[in-house]
Amino acid sequence: MSPVVETRSAPSAPAPRQRSRRRLTRRRTSLFAHGEPMVWLTGGALVIALAMIAGLLLLVLGQGGLTFWPKPLDRFVLEGGVALMGEVTSSEVLEDGGSRQLVRTGNYDLTQVHFTWVEDSNVLERSRPEWGLVLERQSWGRFYGEPRAFLIDGETVAEDPAQVWTRFEQFHPGTRERYEQRKALETHEIGRLNARIESARLAEKSAELDSGADSPQWQRAHERFVRVQEQNESEFDAIREEITQLNAENERYGLVLETADGTRTTLSLADVVRAYPANQLGFADKLGVYLSRWWEFLSDDPREANSEGGVFPAIFGTVVMTLLMSIVVVPFGVLAALYLREYAKQGTIVSMVRIAVNNLAGVPSIAFGVFGLGFFCYIIGASMDELLFEARLPNPTYGKGGLLWAALTLALLTLPVVIVATEEALSAVPNSMREGSYACGATKWQTIRRIVLPRAAPGIMTGMILAIARGAGEVAPLMLVGAVKLAPELPLDGNAPFLHPERSFMHLGFHIFDLGFQSQNSEAAKPMVYTTTLLLIGIVVSLNVLAVLVRGRLRRRFMTAHI
Amino acid sequence: MKPRATGTRRPRKTRFSVTFSEGASRALITVGGIGTIAAVALIFVFLLWVVVPLFTAPTVEAAERLSAGSLEAPRAVLIDEYQLLASTLDADGTLRTFDFASGEKIGERKPLEQRPSAVSLSPEGRDFAAGFEDGSVRIGRFGYRSYFPPEAELAPELRAIEDGVVVRYEDGVLQRVQDGALRFQGIDVELSDPLSMRKSTPIERIAHTARDDGMVLCVWTDGGLIFVETEERTNFLTGEVVLDLSETELAYEPDPSRGTPDYLLLVGRGDNVLLLWEDGRLERVDVRDPESASVVEVVDVVPADGEVVTALSFLIGKSTLVVGDSTGAVRSWFRIKPEAAGTPDGTVFVPAHRFGSTGSAVTALAPSPRSRLISVGREDGTVQIYQATTEALLVELEVGPDAIRALSMSPKEDGLCVLTAADEVMRWDMDPRHPEADLTALFAPVWYEGYEQPAHVWQSESGTDEFEPKLGFLPLIYGTLKATLYSMLFGAPLALFAALYTSEFLSRRLRTPIKSIIEMMASLPSVVLGFLAALVIAPVAQTVVPATLVSFVTLPLALLLGAYLWQLLPQRLSIRWSGWQRLCCMGLALPVGVLSALALGPWVEGLLFAGNIELWLDGQRGNGVGGWLILLLPLCALLWTLFGGRALGPWMRRRSANWSRHQCAVLDIAKFGVGIAASIGVALLVSSLLDGAGYDPRGSYVGTYVQRNALIVGFVMGFAIIPIIYTLAEDALSSVPEHLRLASLGAGATPWQTAVRVIVPTAMSGLFSAVMIGLGRAVGETMIVLMATGNTPVMDMNIFNGFRTLSANIAVELPEAVQNSTHYRALFLAALVLFAMTFTLNTLAELVRLRFRKRAVQL
Repeated sequence: MSPVVETRSAPSAPAPRQRSRRRLTRRRTSLFAHGEPMVWLTGGALVIALAMIAGLLLLVLGQGGLTFWPKPLDRFVLEGGVALMGEVTSSEVLEDGGSRQLVRTGNYDLTQVHFTWVEDSNVLERSRPEWGLVLERQSWGRFYGEPRAFLIDGETVAEDPAQVWTRFEQFHPGTRERYEQRKALETHEIGRLNARIESARLAEKSAELDSGADSPQWQRAHERFVRVQEQNESEFDAIREEITQLNAENERYGLVLETADGTRTTLSLADVVRAYPANQLGFADKLGVYLSRWWEFLSDDPREANSEGGVFPAIFGTVVMTLLMSIVVVPFGVLAALYLREYAKQGTIVSMVRIAVNNLAGVPSIAFGVFGLGFFCYIIGASMDELLFEARLPNPTYGKGGLLWAALTLALLTLPVVIVATEEALSAVPNSMREGSYACGATKWQTIRRIVLPRAAPGIMTGMILAIARGAGEVAPLMLVGAVKLAPELPLDGNAPFLHPERSFMHLGFHIFDLGFQSQNSEAAKPMVYTTTLLLIGIVVSLNVLAVLVRGRLRRRFMTAHI
Repeated sequence: MKPRATGTRRPRKTRFSVTFSEGASRALITVGGIGTIAAVALIFVFLLWVVVPLFTAPTVEAAERLSAGSLEAPRAVLIDEYQLLASTLDADGTLRTFDFASGEKIGERKPLEQRPSAVSLSPEGRDFAAGFEDGSVRIGRFGYRSYFPPEAELAPELRAIEDGVVVRYEDGVLQRVQDGALRFQGIDVELSDPLSMRKSTPIERIAHTARDDGMVLCVWTDGGLIFVETEERTNFLTGEVVLDLSETELAYEPDPSRGTPDYLLLVGRGDNVLLLWEDGRLERVDVRDPESASVVEVVDVVPADGEVVTALSFLIGKSTLVVGDSTGAVRSWFRIKPEAAGTPDGTVFVPAHRFGSTGSAVTALAPSPRSRLISVGREDGTVQIYQATTEALLVELEVGPDAIRALSMSPKEDGLCVLTAADEVMRWDMDPRHPEADLTALFAPVWYEGYEQPAHVWQSESGTDEFEPKLGFLPLIYGTLKATLYSMLFGAPLALFAALYTSEFLSRRLRTPIKSIIEMMASLPSVVLGFLAALVIAPVAQTVVPATLVSFVTLPLALLLGAYLWQLLPQRLSIRWSGWQRLCCMGLALPVGVLSALALGPWVEGLLFAGNIELWLDGQRGNGVGGWLILLLPLCALLWTLFGGRALGPWMRRRSANWSRHQCAVLDIAKFGVGIAASIGVALLVSSLLDGAGYDPRGSYVGTYVQRNALIVGFVMGFAIIPIIYTLAEDALSSVPEHLRLASLGAGATPWQTAVRVIVPTAMSGLFSAVMIGLGRAVGETMIVLMATGNTPVMDMNIFNGFRTLSANIAVELPEAVQNSTHYRALFLAALVLFAMTFTLNTLAELVRLRFRKRAVQL
C-alpha cells in the first residue's frame, strides 16, 4: 500500500490539519512498501531463466565436448565367469542402494548388443588390461579386444602385443590410404561414368519423345548411347581392375584379436578406421585421438546409420542450402524494403502491408513447409519436369523435395526478417542526409545508391545474418521439402552442371531429429546427437554474435554520422 | 555555352544514363518490392486454394443412356472402371453387356449354365456365390478386364482409331488411351466347378464373404444353416487348383412359424451370420466357432408396423449393413462393443445412422467400392447419394417416372449407373469431391463404424483398403491448445517477471549482457530443445516425478524465504548490495529449492501418493487427497497472499508504524511461516473434504503417467518462448518514459511501488502484445512437440499424457499424403488454421503494441 492511501485511511485523527500531517509523515519508508518478496520472485524468475540457459549450454557443451575424449577400457569378470570389456559410459544408483554401470561392450557382430548394464555387486574382478585395444571400424561399430597376432598373407609375423601393435602402426596408414583410394574410385570415377551414361540415355529418350522412335535424331542419339556404353564398359573394367588390386593388397594384412570372453577373430586392417590402446595413452595421445575424432566428425561421411563417423554431408548441405537461400532472400528483401520505405506512398495501406510482413515472421515455419511442398514441389516442380525433364518421367526430377525448393521455402520464411531489418536500417539513415543529397542535385536513385544504401549496409548485413541463423536452425519445413537422413550424393560435385539443386540433401538440424528420434540404437547415437547439437548451436550462436557485432558497428557509425 | 570559372564545361541537362538508371531502378524496385510482397501473400492464397475443394459441393452430370431391351428380373447392374461398359445380371444368371458409346448390347452369356436357386453378390458386385436346386454351389467373380492387344495383330481400321473413339472389338471395346496405346476392355467371369455339398437338398439362401484364407459361405438348405469354409489346394502333379469344402451344420433351431429367412448375410470376415425376414426381424448368429454357434441377438430393423425390408446392402468392409424399407427410411447398422452389452458375444447391433426422411419406398441400394458413399434408388424414380458416416446428402437425382431397379457406382467413384424398371440403363458423370471431410466430419462428433458413440477422432490412414479415414480436427486443436496452455503457464510468468526485474531492478551494467544472452536464445534451434526434452529431460523427469511436482512449490518458497531473510539485513547493507550481490543470493535460493524438492520428493510420495506416484496416477492405489492438494495449494497460497495484502497488510502497517526495521522483518517472517502453514492446512482440509465427497482428480487433470507428456512439453516449450516474451516485454517496460519513473520515485514511492503502479500499467498493452506473440509461437512450434510428445491424437486433460498438435500432425503425415487427396487437403487445412490463428494473434498484438507506442510517445 502506498503512503498516499494511508494518509487517506487515517481520517479518524481529530487533530488540526498541520499536526496530523506531521504525525502521519514517517521518516522511514515502511519495510513492506519495498515489496522485497515480490522483487525476489521477479528476480528469481530471471535467475531461473538464466540457470536454464546455462544448464542447457553446459549440458550440450559438456556432453558434446567430452564425447570424443578417449575413455579407458575396463575388463569386468562377473559372477558366473562371464567376462566383459568395454568403456564405462554412465553409472546410476539403484533403488536398493547398489549401483550399476552402463558399459559399451561393442563387438556387435559377435554379441548382438552394443551396451551392457553391469551391477557392481556382480563384479568379481575389475581391471584395466594394458593391451586393451579400441578399434573403430567401418561397419559393425567399435571392437574391443587384445591383440594376439598380426598376419601378412595369412602368416603370423608377430605375436607379442607390443610387436603386433608396432606392425599395426606400420601397415595401417597404407591400408587406409588404399581404402580411401578405392572409395574415391567408387564414388568419383564410377559416379562420373554413371552420370555420362545416364545423360546419354536421357538424350536418347528425349529424342524419342521429341521426334519419335526410329527418327534420324533418335538414331543418332541411340548410336551415341551405344558408343558411350561400350566406352564405359572398358573404363569400368579398368576401374574395377584397379579396385580389385587395391582390395587384394589390403586383404594381405590381418589383425587377430581376442575379446574378453576369449573369442578370437581376425579383422582386416582396411576395415579399421582408428585404433588405440586405451589404457596406455598419455595426455598428448588422448588429445591426438580427440582431435582426430573431431576432424573425422567434421570432414567425413557418416557410417553405421549415421551414428558414427562424420557429418560432413550435413554441414555441406546446410551451408549450400543456406547460401542459396541468402542469394534469393537478400536481394528481394532489400527490394521490398526499399520499395516500402523509399518509394511507396506512406499511408494506411503501406503500414498495413508493413504489419502483415512483420507478422509473417510469427507464422509457424511448418506452414511455410506445407506451402513449399504443395506449391514448389508439386506444382512448379512437376510442371518443370513435364517441360524440361520429360525423359526422366515418371521419376520426378524437380517434382519432389530438393535443395532448390528447400532454399526457396526458407527464403520465404526469412524474408520478413530481412525486410524488417533493412527497413529499420533505412529509416535510421537521417533524412537530413537524403535532403542534402537532393539539394546537390542528385536523383532519387543516386541518393539511394550513394547515400542511403552504404549507411544502411551494416543493418542489411545484420538482417542477412539473422536470416541465415534462422535458416540454419529451422528443421520443420525442411522435413517436408527435401531434407533426408542419408543423401547418396552431395548437391555439389564434379559432374556437370556441378550444382544439382534438385537433389535432396542432409541438414544438421534434421540430422539431430533423425538421430535422436528415429535412430534404431539411440543410446549409441546419443554422443553423435550431442556433438551435432554442439556444432549447430555453435554455428547459430556465432552467427548471432556476428550480427550483434555488426549492429554495434552500425550504431557507432551513425553516432559519428550525426556529428 | 559559356565557359565556367573552373574551365570545365558542365551540361545543364541531366545525362541520359542518369535519367535511365533513375527510371530503371524505380521500375525495378517497385516491381520487385510489390512482387515480393505479393509472393508472400501468395502463401495464404495458395493454402486457401488447396483447401477450398474440401468444401465445394459434389457435381453430377447426366451422360449416356441406353435401352437394355427387356430383362427378366434383373438383380444388378455393373459398370467398369473407365465407364465404357455396363452389364446387367438377371436372376437366372444371364449376364448382358452393353457399350455406352453405341448404346448396343455387345454380349450376352449365361456363365452359370443352369438357373441358380440362390445368389449372393458382394456389395460392389465383384465376387459372388450361387446355390442350385441340386444342392451344389459355385463361387466366382466377375471382373472387367483390360489389356493392350499388340497393334500389329489388329485390323488396319482398328489401328487407325483416334483418341477418345470407342470401337467394338470381340466381346468388348477398344479405345486409344493417353499414352497412345490401344486398350481393350471387356468382361470376364471366373467360375469354380460346381461343388457338391453333403446334403443334396435345394439351396434356398446363400451368403458369402471373402477371407484371407478363402471364401466363406453360409447356406440355408433343408430348413437348416450350413457354414462352409473353402480352401484352395493346388495339385502338385497336375497344377490344378482344387477347392476343398469343410462344412459345419450350425446348431440353429429355426422357428417353424417364420419359415425361410428372406435374406441371409455373412458379416465382415465371416464371424456373424445375419438372418433377416421381410418384416424386419433380424437374428444374429455368432459363428466365430462354427461348432458352437448360437443366436446372440434379435433386433427389428424396420420399426414401423406392417412395413417391410425392400433393399439392403453392406458398405465396403461388410461391417455396416444398410437397410431400406417400404416407408422409404434408410438406416445403417453396425456392431459396437459397449461395456454392458448384455449379449453373449459382448457386441450389440445398433442403428447408428439414418439417411434422409421417409419418402418413396427404397428399391435399390449400392455402396461405393472405395469409400463410405451409399446410393439409394427409390420407387418414385429418384436417386440420392449419402455419405454414410456423416449422413450428409451429397446428390439428389430425378431419374424419371420409373422405379429404380438397380444401381452401381463406378470403381473410381466418378460415375453412377442406374437401371430403371423400364429397362433403361443410364449413366451419370459424378465427382463426389471430398465428402468424408465436410465441416461436420472435421469439427463435430461423428459416429464411426465400430465406435460406441459419436466421437472426435483423428486417424487418417491405416493399412487396409476398407479403412475409413477419420478426420476430426478437434483432438489436434485440443492438443495444440493443451501444449500452448501448459507452456504459457510456465513460460509467460517467468518471462514477464524476469523482464520486470531486468528493466526495473537490474543495474545498467548487468542489463545489457543478460538481455542479449536471453535474446540470443530466441534463435536456438527448436530441434535442439526437442531432442533434449525427449531424450534427456523426459527420462530423468520420470524418475523424479514427485520431486518435480514438489519443486513447483519449493522453488518459490525458497525465493520468498530468501527475501524474508534478506529483509533481516541492516538497511545499509541491503542498499549497498542491491546490485549483483542480491542477484547472486537469488541464485543461491535456486539450489536450495531444488535440493529441498529432491529431499522432500520421496517423503511426499510416501505421504500423498501411496509410495509410488505412477501406480497412484494409474488409480491403482491411494486416494485423491494428494492430487487435490497439488491443485489447491497454489490457490490457497494465492488466497493467503490476497488476504495478507488486503486485510492483514493495512492493519500490520498501522501497528508497526513505529517499529524498527528489524522488528518488521521478523514479523514478516512470522507472517510467512503462518501463511505456509495456513495454506497447507486449508488445502489439506479442502482436499480431504473433496475426496470424502467422492471426487477424485485422477482420470481428469491427472492420470496415467506417460514418459513424453504435457508437463515436459510445457517446460521445454515454455523455455522456448521465454526469450521472445522476455525481449518484447522488456522493450515495452524500458520504453516507458523515464520522467514517469522519476516522478514516481521523487514523490516518495519505492522502486517496487513505482514498478507495479506506474510502469506496469503504462506498459500493460506492450506486455499484452508480448504475451500474444509468445502465444503465437507456442501454437505453431513443431519440433519440440513432435519429439517430446507421444503424438497420440487423444483428447485428454491429463497433464501426464501426450497429445498431438496441428503442427506435429502436419510434419508426421504430410510426407505420406497423396497429392490432392482428402487427407492432403485436410492437412493443408490444418496449416491454414495454424496460419490464420498465428496471423490473427500477431496482428492483434501488433495493433495493441502500436497503440501502446503512440501512448508512450504522448506521455
